[in-house]
Amino acid sequence: MQVVVDLNRCQGYAQCVFLVPEVFELHGEEALMYTPRVPDGQRERVLRAAVACPVRAILVGEPAGAE
Amino acid sequence: MSSETLFRRITDPAARADPYPLYAELREHGVARQEDGRYLVGTYHEIEALLHDPRVSSDVRKRTAPDPDLLPVEGLPPAFIGIDDPEHDRQRRLAMRPFGPPHSPGRIDALRGGMTRVAEELADGLRGRQRVDLVEDFAFPLPITVICDLFGVPESDRHQVHVWADTVIAGLDFTPGEDPGPRRRAAHEARLAMGRYLGGLAAERRGHPAGDLLSGLADDDGPDGRLTDQELMLTAVLLLIAGHETTVNLITNGMLTLLRHPAELERLRERPELMPSAVEELLRYEPPVQLLPQRTPLADVEVGGVTVPAGAPLILVLASGNRDPLRFPDPDRFDPAREDNVHFGFGSGVHACFGAPLARLETQIALTTLLARLDRPRLLEDPPPYRTSPVLRGPRHLPLALG
Repeated sequence: MQVVVDLNRCQGYAQCVFLVPEVFELHGEEALMYTPRVPDGQRERVLRAAVACPVRAILVGEPAGAE
Repeated sequence: MSSETLFRRITDPAARADPYPLYAELREHGVARQEDGRYLVGTYHEIEALLHDPRVSSDVRKRTAPDPDLLPVEGLPPAFIGIDDPEHDRQRRLAMRPFGPPHSPGRIDALRGGMTRVAEELADGLRGRQRVDLVEDFAFPLPITVICDLFGVPESDRHQVHVWADTVIAGLDFTPGEDPGPRRRAAHEARLAMGRYLGGLAAERRGHPAGDLLSGLADDDGPDGRLTDQELMLTAVLLLIAGHETTVNLITNGMLTLLRHPAELERLRERPELMPSAVEELLRYEPPVQLLPQRTPLADVEVGGVTVPAGAPLILVLASGNRDPLRFPDPDRFDPAREDNVHFGFGSGVHACFGAPLARLETQIALTTLLARLDRPRLLEDPPPYRTSPVLRGPRHLPLALG
């Protein structure tokens, strides 16, 4: 699973960082950093974070060409 | 009926079970000036613009005429929910430091296991009973246990905290024709007592941090320094009460809504992975905070062709914005799989709900556990009896038959 965050939409609500601190991280107070390739054990939680994003900036999918 | 009486009709307890037709009427008028000079806004895009407008204050002290319903506790400034930037921002950032990212990113995530255990114990405690009250037996005890764990309130003091919280919340309710004075005074006393208690607990933790949120607030010096003792008391009381009542209503409204939509309930029982998006839809469809009564423009502000004068009471009806057909297709339909769902369940803008990540996780866990463990729950009263508050809306009881 891969994750992409539309950083033009991201407003720093940080709901994803609360829910999956292993994948999403705040750099300073507002800048979001994330691990694009989601570890297998974190898939369900990343999906929860994508739904919880107040501005729907998190896109989740399989990398192109994946089985 | 005249749009000038909308606020009176919305706050009438008779409207509590179903205020949505009144909200539809409000949206027809765009901005509705009331007989007493309040301005009501119920359309999505206008509410959104106002929530992001720096000319709109959250501080009721900016009102031209003081509102007797919103008087702050005498001699005390408001907590950060009731003040503006930059002071609001300083206090909120200091409160966030022990609660979430960037300084404490794992705090809420670490509560997952404990919350699940408490929810399962409460749900299992209902087994074998034929009739339960979901509010008293589940939705109330779960959040208070979670928030007391988070704050590090010792077991022996929890009953007292619970009584104070209940008294403060009862102060928000009102019954037409009844003198609200005594209830408000009791709420006021409970708030002060709670503040003194939490302040004392924080003082004990200063220098002896115990890993909880209160220790973090009391003991941890960040780059911005720390909250003053008074700010700490006000913040602790705010978070404890806010984290409590709203979640009770979200869980109860959630169970009520699912029981009214049995096909959706069945689907969520079979596929609990759909619960996070169902909770977002609940926040849109039946939000615990229906309206924000404390906004005030600092300058004359134009909203939907109407000028709201500086100092006038401005009331943003979030639950109406959530049902605005200009924003949400088929807004009166409960659709747990709704895709484009940027709702106002947690507000928006700089005052967006501080506790949202906790409420989300707690409600996802609560509803998943209830669906998995309750034996054939059925509504015994529909609509159930509601609390009278038009702001924090939810059932006072939710009687269910089981088995």
